[in-house]
Amino acid sequence: MDDHLTPAQERDALAAELALGLLDGQARSDALRLLLRDPAFAALVAAWEARLAPLHGEWAHAEPGDGVWSGIERQLAERPAETVTAIETRLRRWRAGALLSSAVAAALAFVLITRPVPAPTPAAPQLAVARIESDAAGPLVLARYNQSNGLMQLRIHGFEPGALAPELWVIPEGGAPVSLGQIGHAGEAEMTMPPPHRLLMTDGATLAITMEPVSKTPHPAPSGAAVASGKIITI
Amino acid sequence: MQWPSGADEARTRLVAALTAVGRGDRAALREVYDMTAAKLFGICLRICGERASAEDVLQTVYIKVWERAGQFDAARASPITWLATIARNGAIDWRRSVAGRAARDTLPEQAAFAVADGAPRADQSLVAAEESERLHRCLEELEDHTRLCIRAAFFDGSTYAELATRENVPLGTMKSWIRRGLLRLKDCLGDG
Repeated sequence: MDDHLTPAQERDALAAELALGLLDGQARSDALRLLLRDPAFAALVAAWEARLAPLHGEWAHAEPGDGVWSGIERQLAERPAETVTAIETRLRRWRAGALLSSAVAAALAFVLITRPVPAPTPAAPQLAVARIESDAAGPLVLARYNQSNGLMQLRIHGFEPGALAPELWVIPEGGAPVSLGQIGHAGEAEMTMPPPHRLLMTDGATLAITMEPVSKTPHPAPSGAAVASGKIITI
Repeated sequence: MQWPSGADEARTRLVAALTAVGRGDRAALREVYDMTAAKLFGICLRICGERASAEDVLQTVYIKVWERAGQFDAARASPITWLATIARNGAIDWRRSVAGRAARDTLPEQAAFAVADGAPRADQSLVAAEESERLHRCLEELEDHTRLCIRAAFFDGSTYAELATRENVPLGTMKSWIRRGLLRLKDCLGDG
């Protein structure tokens, strides 16, 4: 950029660009990834949305066709009835906190098991781990992934049941978050990763958890900042 | 689907309906739809550029409203701004997707680049008049080309690349205009 902005101005300009929707391609993916990972940046984007909000008074109205509402009803009928209830107070507190600090409310530990194919010996599998960001009192998710068969095993501790469920995302280096689906509030879970997603589970990619409205199908994009994230690192 | 004459009354009704949606009340979603579909469809149609895609996007917008209504906080955002932001972001997500780019490529230029400018109209009364006046005053202080490009980005969902092509300037020049304009806008609004 030729304008010699300070790093803080650069960051704010990027937030404005994302709020206004000017970005495309890689720049947009990068900014969306930052939005997910950095609550301070998310707050800057929200501030720009608020600044520009008065423009929303100017849209010309248009009547949608009658089929739109029936389509909405059809989609809702396919969902569990308890999809949305009011957010728990605890979570509200967390959201407020997330905007003010980058404190991490949950921890995510990740172990990637790579089995060489064919295995020369039944030696110990190669391991990859994620950086663990932990607030010791918060929820904890342990993940273990076997690259040879695409099996992801999760052990989940300490999320309280409520309107929002933890949703697991993989964020390829330089790419946009891809949902791996929602996980339970506690206990163990297993999922077999579809082949396209297996390609994303590489060194340098990030795993993250956000709190999302309950849904049987993965969300296309996260609605808020991550409560936990960890980078996949091969050791 | 007209707003009642009193903007405050409309706002109160909409907040009540959204709050009920947040509790999982499907009848309330219909009420929100009846009160806001024409506005939100206007947003989707403007940015998507054609009805069929705009209607698809509008469906996903109300599903998002259903999912997120529990997060709506009337103390922090006006309900119509909250809804319009979801609609605009949904339409822009579509526009930046592979399907959206392919569909836009088949549209005539004019449809894609109908410029938005001029006097505020429609349901201006629904957003706080004072804030609106301040934003418009600060936009007026910008250079004409900068203001027009910022408005085109907002109302058409145009990217830097599209705006540079349209104004026939290098991409770097367009970025510089808009970035400088946005930072000046923030200074003028006096909240930075």
